[in-house]
Amino acid sequence: MAKAIAAVAASYEQAGRRGAAADYDVGLMLRFQEGDELAFQELVQRNHGRVVGLIYRFISDASEAEDLAQEVFLRIYRARKTYKPTAKFSTWMFRITANVSLNALRSRANRKDEVSIDQVTDFGDGSRAMPDPEAEMPDHDLRQAELQTKVREAIAELPEKQQVAVVLNKYEGMSYAEIAGTIGCSTMAVKSLLARARDNLKDSLLLYIRTGRGRQRVC
Amino acid sequence: MSPVCQWVRSVLVAYLDGELKPSTADAVRRHLVRCEACRAQMRLLQESWRLLDDVPPVPVRSGFTQRMMARVVEEKELSAFAARLGSRRRRRSVLASVLGMAAGLAFGFAVYAWTGIVEKPASPVEWEVSRHVSFLEDVELLDEMAVIQAIDRLERDTDTAGNGA
Repeated sequence: MAKAIAAVAASYEQAGRRGAAADYDVGLMLRFQEGDELAFQELVQRNHGRVVGLIYRFISDASEAEDLAQEVFLRIYRARKTYKPTAKFSTWMFRITANVSLNALRSRANRKDEVSIDQVTDFGDGSRAMPDPEAEMPDHDLRQAELQTKVREAIAELPEKQQVAVVLNKYEGMSYAEIAGTIGCSTMAVKSLLARARDNLKDSLLLYIRTGRGRQRVC
Repeated sequence: MSPVCQWVRSVLVAYLDGELKPSTADAVRRHLVRCEACRAQMRLLQESWRLLDDVPPVPVRSGFTQRMMARVVEEKELSAFAARLGSRRRRRSVLASVLGMAAGLAFGFAVYAWTGIVEKPASPVEWEVSRHVSFLEDVELLDEMAVIQAIDRLERDTDTAGNGA
């Protein structure tokens, strides 16, 4: 273990990233690379929540999000021999996660049998349910459900890179530099992506902002 | 819209995210104090961004790690099976190639040997001709004899004509 951490520290010092030498997940990945399968198990345990959560922001289907999260960790498993700690582990992991999510979205679009997001709402309990207009939902809950659907739609309508930038910035709290490292572009490009994305979101959600449906009205 | 407002709106999101240099952020802040339109734009951006918080995170089912490790075991078994299948297939294909070549050679040799033992039957024409081949050889002789006889007659006639003269 000490040897693995020392190796990580050496590689980061070489790259001038002293802070990242303390990346515990990088240490686990290096141990796994040396054959320690328990290290991989710990990586899964530590990160699966974030991976599933991130995928869910794209897919809006809890069951499919878990399947795709398994695919992400399988790719990490298969890449153990070629893994090089040139960045934070999470940067690499989220890059794989974004790719897997976008591939799934493209497959859905190609299948053309996708159920319109207008018709489906996930209430976050792992099951997909069709909202029943006749159901006796409290008015507020109905507005909330409608708003959540609308927000998901607005994100889904963004171009791919804008979607990824928004999801990483909003739900993972990533800085522009971290997003740039994840999606493989410059910080300036991320600044531009987020500016356009948030402008688009504002336009999509204008009705909900101005009428205060589901939220407190903005004066 | 003035050029300053255009510029401020282009960096407003970065300003809200704290991603501007301090001097740039100060310039934006000073403009926002004076410009109601840009302030309204900023509020719309902030509010639409806050709406994204209304989408709850997905609750992750317990046992994910165990399910994941079970999938890893399956992956390893599949890889080992594929490796074994690959080597078995290679052995089988090499063996099949060798046997095929041997069979081909044996067949070819057999055909060659078979054609040497069995005389190919002659065609009807050849058979008819072969019956009379000795006669045919005589035909040439007969032709020569006819010529010889013609020459003899000619000589006799010449002699007779000479004697008579």
